Amino acid sequence: MKYNIFSYLIGEGFKNTMKNKKSTFAALSIMIATMIIFGVFLAIIENIDSFLTELEHSQAIQVFMTVDTPQEQIDKLRNDISNLDGVNSVQFVSEEDAVNIMKDYFENNEKLLAGVEDIFPPSFLVNFSDLTKSEEVQSQIINMEGVSTIQNSNETTSALLGVGNAIRLISAIILVFLIVVSLFIISNTIKLTVHARRKEISIMKYVGATNAFIRWPFVVEGIIIGVVAAAISLLAIGLLYNWASTQLMSSVLMQRLGIILVNFTDMFSMLVVVYAILGIGMGVVGSMISMKKYLEV
Amino acid sequence: MIEFKNVSKVYKTGTVGVKNANFVIDKGEFVFLVGASGSGKSTLIKLILKEEDATEGKILINRKDITHLKQSRVPYLRRSMGVVFQDFRLLPDKTVYDNVAFAMYIVNATPKHIRRQVPMLLSLVGLSNKAKVYPHELSGGEQQRVALARALVNNPSMIIADEPTGNLDPETAWEIMSLLNDINLRGTTVVVATHAKDIVDFMKKRVIKLENGFIVSDKKGGYDSEI
Repeated sequence: MKYNIFSYLIGEGFKNTMKNKKSTFAALSIMIATMIIFGVFLAIIENIDSFLTELEHSQAIQVFMTVDTPQEQIDKLRNDISNLDGVNSVQFVSEEDAVNIMKDYFENNEKLLAGVEDIFPPSFLVNFSDLTKSEEVQSQIINMEGVSTIQNSNETTSALLGVGNAIRLISAIILVFLIVVSLFIISNTIKLTVHARRKEISIMKYVGATNAFIRWPFVVEGIIIGVVAAAISLLAIGLLYNWASTQLMSSVLMQRLGIILVNFTDMFSMLVVVYAILGIGMGVVGSMISMKKYLEV
Repeated sequence: MIEFKNVSKVYKTGTVGVKNANFVIDKGEFVFLVGASGSGKSTLIKLILKEEDATEGKILINRKDITHLKQSRVPYLRRSMGVVFQDFRLLPDKTVYDNVAFAMYIVNATPKHIRRQVPMLLSLVGLSNKAKVYPHELSGGEQQRVALARALVNNPSMIIADEPTGNLDPETAWEIMSLLNDINLRGTTVVVATHAKDIVDFMKKRVIKLENGFIVSDKKGGYDSEI
């Protein structure tokens, strides 16, 4: 019995989708348009975010030890620093490494370094997995035995964090705004469909149909349109993104800046989830909102 | 079956629909509601269908007080009655068969029951050969027959018809009325709001006459009989 009514309602939803080609097409194109705009925006944000994260990871501090620190002490320090919360990697720079770096730096004027070769202390290059923990980590390191000074770029760090947070906040606001706008557009489109069929709805009510019985085919219709729109948008955004990233990557400017774009496959699963939620959500919520008025017969 | 106790309906605009209506329609009766446009016939029908709420008084359908029926229960009330309108109100994108079957899907009938019941009703109204046709391919009289089949398909205890012959030529109007009479003879209560004076006069049924919202006469006979 239940199965009968269930399959009937889903069947009606499919039939309506096929039958009302014009409104289906209208809803579908608007939904695809919003989803693609949404997707493009998401891709841009994702890239900015990955670029910022990259930049944040490249922010390193240099921890200098006292000259002639014994090897055991160095090993212990390396271990202790690696275990600190927020530290991504620790790279050891020995006395010889430091001298070589300086020699490279002065290239043809190696004579300038004569006599100062043994004043370079060994050090660690430390970078962060979480840049916000930078100051905390530094205060912990400075108290460790064998550490003499820390060279940092705290100003760059805090500036970078500020910019990053601002961009993330702005993108979150814009995304929410886009969702609200899409919901509004979709519910209006469905409202038109429902309005076109208000006579049908009132007939159903006179014959004794419950609200749920009337609503379900519309909700099914909304979901079908949502899922189809999501699939098409996903395909479109995939092609668009691959094309655009190939174009951009081959440009001289991008190569100079050393920016590497996020691979589409890395965004794919996120996009699938976002589109599925958007598509089904807009279908369901949109049809629910827009039907409310017409069910009061 | 249908009982009105001091029922009044005043619309929000202040228009009086029905004033102080009192009557009882028993099981198996055939009743005409007559009166000029705006006399309150349609309001009366709407009150029975619970499309409008009474502002005063009490309405009982099948001994159940529907005056304060919850919105969510209204569909179940409407399933106990078959409704027929002047403009037929068929679903344009469904065949004759599906229009009738549709009313059965709503009450969650089994496919087996639907396959048995729908052809039976179509043959009762004489449209067995038009099952696969769409409403726009039918004449007015045929469309009203489909509406009647739909109204009857769930075996309601009463049929409520609001100007069922209003859009039909006189001859077809007679056909529909005699069909309603046949249905009544099988035991179904029938309430018909109508303008068709000659039919009312001829059929010699109980007539409730309305004027400006008041019931001015209620007796067996013709359109113009006075109390």
